[in-house]
Amino acid sequence: MQSTVKPAIPAKALAGRDQNLLRLLVMLVFVFGLMTVLRPNEFATLADFNSMMRQFPEYGIMAIGISLTMITGGIDLGVVGTANLSAIFAAKFLIGAVPQGAPPEQVLPYLAAAVAIALATGLLCGAFAGLLISRFRIPAILATLGTQQLYTGIAIGITNGRPQSRLPLLYSTIGNTEFFGFFPLSFVIYCAIAVGIGLMLSRSRFGTCMYMLGTNAKAARFAGLNNASIIIRTYMVSGILSSVAGLIMMARANSAKADYGAPYTLQCVLIAVLGGIDPNGGFGKITGVTLAILILQFLSSGLNMFNNISNFYRDVIWGGVLILVLVFNRLFSIRAERRAVRRSMA
Amino acid sequence: MKRSFVSVLAVALVFVLAVPLFGQSYDPMKFKSSKPQAAWKIALVPKDATNAWFVRMESGVKRYAKDTGINVFQKGPPKTDAAMQAQVIEDLIAQGVDAICVVPVDPSALEPVLGKALSKGIVVIDHEGASQQNCLYDIEAFSNEGLGQALMQVLAKSMGEKGTYTTMVGNVTNASHNEWADAGVAYQKAKYPNMTLLAAEPRVEIMDNLDTAYQRAKELFKKYPDLKGIFGTSSLSTPGTARAIEELGLKGKAFVTSVGLPNENKPYLKSGTVQAVMLWDSAEAGYAMLATAVAVLKGEKIANGINLKGKGWESMTFAPESTKVLLGKSWISITKDNVDSFGF
Repeated sequence: MQSTVKPAIPAKALAGRDQNLLRLLVMLVFVFGLMTVLRPNEFATLADFNSMMRQFPEYGIMAIGISLTMITGGIDLGVVGTANLSAIFAAKFLIGAVPQGAPPEQVLPYLAAAVAIALATGLLCGAFAGLLISRFRIPAILATLGTQQLYTGIAIGITNGRPQSRLPLLYSTIGNTEFFGFFPLSFVIYCAIAVGIGLMLSRSRFGTCMYMLGTNAKAARFAGLNNASIIIRTYMVSGILSSVAGLIMMARANSAKADYGAPYTLQCVLIAVLGGIDPNGGFGKITGVTLAILILQFLSSGLNMFNNISNFYRDVIWGGVLILVLVFNRLFSIRAERRAVRRSMA
Repeated sequence: MKRSFVSVLAVALVFVLAVPLFGQSYDPMKFKSSKPQAAWKIALVPKDATNAWFVRMESGVKRYAKDTGINVFQKGPPKTDAAMQAQVIEDLIAQGVDAICVVPVDPSALEPVLGKALSKGIVVIDHEGASQQNCLYDIEAFSNEGLGQALMQVLAKSMGEKGTYTTMVGNVTNASHNEWADAGVAYQKAKYPNMTLLAAEPRVEIMDNLDTAYQRAKELFKKYPDLKGIFGTSSLSTPGTARAIEELGLKGKAFVTSVGLPNENKPYLKSGTVQAVMLWDSAEAGYAMLATAVAVLKGEKIANGINLKGKGWESMTFAPESTKVLLGKSWISITKDNVDSFGF
């Protein structure tokens, strides 16, 4: 039984998803080509690539976090709240602990501790959300809407809504490092995370369990999976990723604040769906998410080059792209289904 | 061995890869552009792209482009968010603009990206960001003292320069509101001897709420029959108090003014209950920011008395003990005659 069913699903999934990747790639090339033709002196320049590489990691990493939770059939709307709360704890620690005017080699251990504090905060934030969803059976969308409010509320409470600035100079110096004067550290971190999470999904047992849970939670439970543990661990990963994004935002702004990047939440959901993550769970790849991130960053930076187009239209264009992709995906999957039915009839 | 490696790495990171971030002071005279004026590109970054206040600002930017022929444009983030505003500035730096004028959502969050702009020789001008470190100049529409005096002039004129008045602030904790009120009271004592501040309740608080303003005004006028004027600060003081004045039939006997938005006050200005409210015009502020940037690019010295061309920005003075923050006198009084011309 198992041997016949098991390969059938991934095979169909793979074919479907690869087509999706192809479509995303076509769209990426199209957007890139369009911007290059329309703004040849500005868009396809090293300076612009550098600017884009500095921009997308902070929300890209959160988009990966949300994608993971969507693969298990949930969603994590608490990513931005988690990111800011983690950054605020790290910032509070740095401001309080680092002695004024300490030399760099003395500050370094404090920075390591601050990063550890942020990651631990992210882990706990994620674990709490996972607990609400798995043990208390609260729908993920409501549970994480709650955690988003809760974490943002705590962040506002402990900072009175003020930015936590005057961090040690070394933090943003390291955070804004550019390798070979071109590749920002945040971009390198994004790449490492994308590859790591991609491998985790495709190669590890945990990754397979996530897909199975997302495809059919009931079946997964009857197959002997510990659903609660998988859910909690997934949200923990999402929480840690959020805290990494929080640390990046903290380096870029040289401060932490309760409401930095508040509009990123919906943007990340949009990226995940555009990238081919099935909102109902069970399907999706990090490659697709990365392509979606690049498409949106090309659009956004490209739009900033048109002096007469207000950024007001960015939402219109993004929304339009999203709906277009969803409709296309639906049409293609209907056609594929029909073809499969015809073939099985013949 | 290992320890020394770490410290060498740290020191190397600081000195070799360092992006200038803080405390760097730049000499504005070094930002004189060697390019011809026709090749200049100047961007103005508002807090967001859709807010009526900044749509109005953009009309000033367009007027500046028309008046001077210089390539200036406004480009804001799609939502009011510090992180998104920083991204727009990143892109502008990559495009190689010559000057960036910015109305920061959160000055501290923009320090790194504006530091990067300055280090690349891009002129940075702030507005409503007096705490910004990484900018050449920050221009403010007015000093708190100047606005307080101007509000008092309006109220005194309405009251015929005589009678009892009191002050109404948004919150007693709001620093600028209280400074306006203090300046107004001091000005009255010096200039209008026939006016008196209501001793029993010299400062009323409305919690920045329209309904509270209405309730408090109604109470005050009933409790103190000789009260003739309310010196408001919050933009909600005037519409709230004006409603109370009309309901109590005190039109022409009691008066109010404050900072105010045109549309909110339109009915009371038209009916004659309110003579004028004060406002500064974001279009003029945008115009003045661009003029500042152009002055720096031309290599002109920015000194006390400089003319930034926008209305009310013709004679700027440095704030006390500052070589960065410039103050104007850019308030306008909104009356029944010009209330329709603002569009917000």
